[in-house]
Amino acid sequence: MTKALTLLGLESSCDDTAAAVVRRTDAGTEVLASVVFGQAELHSAFGGVVPEIAARAHTEKLDTSVQQALEAAGVTLADLDAVAVTAGPGLIGGVLAGVMCAKGICAATGLPLVGVNHLAGHALTPRMTDDIAFPYLMLLVSGGHCQFLVVRGPDDFSRLGGTIDDAPGEAFDKVARLLGLPQPGGPSVEAEAAKGNATRFRMPRPLLDRDDCNLSFSGLKTALLRARDGVIAEKGGLTRADRADLCAGFQEAVVEVLAAKLRRALSIYLEERPDVPTVAVAGGVAANGAIRAALEQVAAEAGAAFVAPPLRFCTDNAAMIAYAGIELFEGGQRDDMTLAARPRWPLDRSGPAMLGSGKKGAKA
Amino acid sequence: MPSDPVVLSFDTSAAHCAAALLSGDRILASRAEEMGRGQAERLVPLLEELLAEAGLGWDDLARIGVGIGPGNFTGIRISVAAARGLGLALGIPVIGVSTFDAIAVDAPGRAAAVPAPRDQVYLKPVGGSPDLVAVELAADAAFPPAPATLTEAIARHAATAAAGGPPPAPLYIRPADAAPSRDAPPVILD
Repeated sequence: MTKALTLLGLESSCDDTAAAVVRRTDAGTEVLASVVFGQAELHSAFGGVVPEIAARAHTEKLDTSVQQALEAAGVTLADLDAVAVTAGPGLIGGVLAGVMCAKGICAATGLPLVGVNHLAGHALTPRMTDDIAFPYLMLLVSGGHCQFLVVRGPDDFSRLGGTIDDAPGEAFDKVARLLGLPQPGGPSVEAEAAKGNATRFRMPRPLLDRDDCNLSFSGLKTALLRARDGVIAEKGGLTRADRADLCAGFQEAVVEVLAAKLRRALSIYLEERPDVPTVAVAGGVAANGAIRAALEQVAAEAGAAFVAPPLRFCTDNAAMIAYAGIELFEGGQRDDMTLAARPRWPLDRSGPAMLGSGKKGAKA
Repeated sequence: MPSDPVVLSFDTSAAHCAAALLSGDRILASRAEEMGRGQAERLVPLLEELLAEAGLGWDDLARIGVGIGPGNFTGIRISVAAARGLGLALGIPVIGVSTFDAIAVDAPGRAAAVPAPRDQVYLKPVGGSPDLVAVELAADAAFPPAPATLTEAIARHAATAAAGGPPPAPLYIRPADAAPSRDAPPVILD
């Protein structure tokens, strides 16, 4: 019988301010409360997340989020074993606010502090929701990230590949802006794509000619812009049917590229002969029905189980941070009051940097 | 144990990390370290050192005064976020004190000015609202004292301020610098 652990988690690395209380016992893991305050309306006029606006909002919302999560969970700080906080990677102003709020709570209560990598939070979520065993293949696909990881332990990740430029969620947002659809772009582009003809505008399939697990979405955005401008040059605008067809063509390209790269990642992962071959997805883009269906099919063809946590734990949340904190805490991790917020923090410390490998190091 | 309630104050609104402990009229301990970066890593250890120096623990505090700026945006967020976390866990009032109010503790009745980037200042005229203006317009204003004195003034102001107001929030003066998206939506024909 291992000790029951109850952790508070804080998350503020992008545009969601979140707090959660998660408890793990021998019987399993229970999310006692998960509070998320989104900032979509603060950023909507700017067509994307504005770091300074996000940082301002997090600073004034974190403690309220914590209070609400504790109340909803029916616990007090005295019932906790530790506090876990996202310490990176992400927008540094928000990460800093979370880290400082967590330090304040820990200093005042004497509770241990556990700094968590935001990406580890996403990558460990399928263990929180479905109790899957290591090692599993993880596709993390969101507005800010896109990578294939073999997850071997709470602090042991191998990146097989990832995007060399933009994340697919970012591309969906850009497409929505280019076509006058509401933000966030994922759901609105998906809804339009369902009405459209994917064969009318032929979009590229970037990097499919390369036998690796890397992806690229930047050129796809440009291709969509060109196709849109072609129609506008001809007619002086877009019809709703044109717009739906553009969305369908774009989405199909994303689906095909992700599916093909998952097939490659799976073949590498299966060489390890895992006992229970499992593919898990996380991130907001995994909520896209067409993408999810394609990924599920690729997993089934390879004889691997497919796990997609519920959407509220797929998108940014603090339950995943509290849960990752539990696994790291059990492994002995304790951070002191000098814990630093890190804008860049790759999960795979041995793999070559893929993004922003400048003097400040790899992004993610 | 001091007889009067103990106020902890701290400030990271500029290139420093400063904190003070006040009980009644008496400063029990005070620290200020110059630093261009690293306040987020230094702040809480510095507060713990300060408490240890005064022979006090977190539970001995009656309230917290936190510097809310104006000043370095990241700096004021570091202190405000930490103060709100402390206040939540300790269940004591947390008073946000602007640098203008802190200046007025030792220079009452004068316009107050805080240095800002690009030869500008945040200027608060007597009885008026603060704004970002050219430094020449602040010739008669009082500027912030050295960080140690500033944080002591924050403690003194916080000690007498009314509790029960809204939680402390950074004083930015200016809205976030952000431009609307340049992607113009297309004309929809039907």
